[in-house]
Amino acid sequence: MTIVFDRVSFTYPGSREPSLHGLSFHAARGQVTLLTGLLGAGCSTTVLVAAGVAPRLLGGSVEGDVTVLERNPGTAEGWRDLAGRVAVLLPTPWTQLSGMTFTVADEVAFGPANLGWDREEILDVAAVAMDQLSVTHLAQRDPATLSGGELQRVILAGLVAMRPDVYLLDEPTVELDPEAADAVYALLPTLAKTAAVLLTTTDSDRAVEVADSALYLESGQLVSAGSPCDVLGSERVVAAGAGVSVATLFRDAGARGPYPVDVAAAASRWMTA
Amino acid sequence: MTVGYLPGAGFLHRAHPFTAMAIGGGVAVLAFLLAPPAGPLAVLALGVALAMAAGVWRVLIPAAVISGPFWVFLFAIHGLFREAPLTALGLSARMTASIVAFLLVIAVVHPGRLVEALLARGVPFAAAYLLAAAIQIVPRFQNRARAILDAQRCRGLRLRGSPLRRVRAVVALAIPLVLSALAEVDEHALALETRGVGTGKRRTILHPPVDTPLDRAIRWAVLGVLAVAVLVTYP
Amino acid sequence: MGSSILFEGTTSKRNRTDHVSPRLLALIPLAIGINLALGQFAAATALPLFLDTVGTVLVAVLAGLAPALLTGLISQVVFTLVTGNVTWLAFLPVQLFIAAYAALAADRAGFASVRRAVVGGLGLGALAATIAAPIAYFAFGGVTSGGVTVVTAALTGLGVPLHWAVFASSLSNDLLDKTITFLLVRTILVTLPRRVASRFPGVSRALGLHR
Repeated sequence: MTIVFDRVSFTYPGSREPSLHGLSFHAARGQVTLLTGLLGAGCSTTVLVAAGVAPRLLGGSVEGDVTVLERNPGTAEGWRDLAGRVAVLLPTPWTQLSGMTFTVADEVAFGPANLGWDREEILDVAAVAMDQLSVTHLAQRDPATLSGGELQRVILAGLVAMRPDVYLLDEPTVELDPEAADAVYALLPTLAKTAAVLLTTTDSDRAVEVADSALYLESGQLVSAGSPCDVLGSERVVAAGAGVSVATLFRDAGARGPYPVDVAAAASRWMTA
Repeated sequence: MTVGYLPGAGFLHRAHPFTAMAIGGGVAVLAFLLAPPAGPLAVLALGVALAMAAGVWRVLIPAAVISGPFWVFLFAIHGLFREAPLTALGLSARMTASIVAFLLVIAVVHPGRLVEALLARGVPFAAAYLLAAAIQIVPRFQNRARAILDAQRCRGLRLRGSPLRRVRAVVALAIPLVLSALAEVDEHALALETRGVGTGKRRTILHPPVDTPLDRAIRWAVLGVLAVAVLVTYP
Repeated sequence: MGSSILFEGTTSKRNRTDHVSPRLLALIPLAIGINLALGQFAAATALPLFLDTVGTVLVAVLAGLAPALLTGLISQVVFTLVTGNVTWLAFLPVQLFIAAYAALAADRAGFASVRRAVVGGLGLGALAATIAAPIAYFAFGGVTSGGVTVVTAALTGLGVPLHWAVFASSLSNDLLDKTITFLLVRTILVTLPRRVASRFPGVSRALGLHR
């Protein structure tokens, strides 16, 4: 297993209540694992803990075992071993720009260059990554002049270029317009071929199309886990307002759970009903 | 009036960044070495000639704007009150020559190329990073400051009135800006970490600027000229 | 020391990316941005205020001496690049002195009360003016930034010897500016959310909360 959480609790510094309570789950290479819940449920915190940022950078206290690629990302040595293998994407594009580059092409190559790869190899992987995220036409632009959506794709390209083993994606598409968001979600199964993808999002409609498994959190606790259809169509999740829109429509129309999560399932249920 | 890099393909644009900097630095130092007022005036003429030859005559506009106050005040202080107009002329020419030289260098040396040249020369990554990041953060914070000022003015902020009220107003502007900047620190640190900063690997330089024998010869020549100037001025 | 979490890795191989922690690499440019933006605010008030060292003083408190010196150094370079006015560089020693003074003040609980901040700010203003005046006098014949120079010219016109005129105008500006800078930094430290403050051990030391 690539990411393993074993009864993990986490408390932010200066806070009394833990933000995660005894969370256990695992995410495997080859899969897109969806982590979902309402705002404040602990999804972003889970990403930060998996990245070891909490407690290494943010402070706070962790109980239980966090293991990523057989190492503990919360320690300096663990993170050093994981360098370049764990890609973290946050929802705020501006704070994630390296700040050191003057063109998009160099921004995408920033990570591989820091890992000391050969120059030719870097230029290759950067070109491929820019193509995958459809930002090749921006290659010579100054990153400071890009829109939030363009920037988020450039930063994701910068992570893809590093060929990581783990992607931790926290609300990767909030800055994107619908078409760009579709394109990013369509790319996730490709990324998952060589890596474990842990995705948090409130965009259940798109996520359910690409996720291989889903976890649903409430107040820092794992409430349900399983196939995306089961989790996102379950009574509890839909009732909480975190389900997909088709399921929510069915519930609002007075149907009973478990609800269908996509249009095809909805149509077949309509037929059989 | 723009201060900073001007795209172009003149001989100083094509030169290695260190060469352009050596030439500009040489002009500035020479202006302080040679005896006033003739020396600095001649160096000023040289600086202007270089700017024209390098295809960036436009730097002369900000140069005039920036050095204007020096001429006015130096002539006011030294020329009128102390009856030494030649001192004022020498000092003003000195200032203006260094300002022209400086604007010339930043007009022909792209900051990205300079950073690559520094890294190629073995300057620590942190130093190159901080220089580049500081340059990049300037427009971001200028825009942010302007946006906050405009927004607060719309909400009735008055930056006039008694000095105490103005100080209070500026403090009210400063605090949210500083707090939001500090809140960004950890997110940006994470972004740098995930992109391989701090891993202890040796960074690959993607576009090292070409340093030709001619570049090196010019840099030595600049040093030679300065040495001669020292010997001539202080025999 | 507050800087122990910021500095890691002491090897000196060229171009390696681990001399300075990513956290410090993130903090310093933001502090330079603060210097710049507050300088812009100060200019908008048309008072003899600069506020262009608030970020430097803040880094001295949050991260200690070496990061503050770096912030001061790079701020001065960037101000020079932005304004195109190379004469700013001559005042680099003043920036570095402010960084060192602020680091010392932070270490000695110099922001523990309004009174301490005012005393610390006045002290810094007096010393900074003492360093700045000779630079303005010898390198530039008494001419520096706009507002200060008007005072200098006026005093010279009244018959005050030039070196005293330069010092007096420089002093009056710096006393006001550095006092307000220190008060502002104290206000910021007091307002910092606990989650942020707890990540910088220097804060409680500067506020005299533990010793």
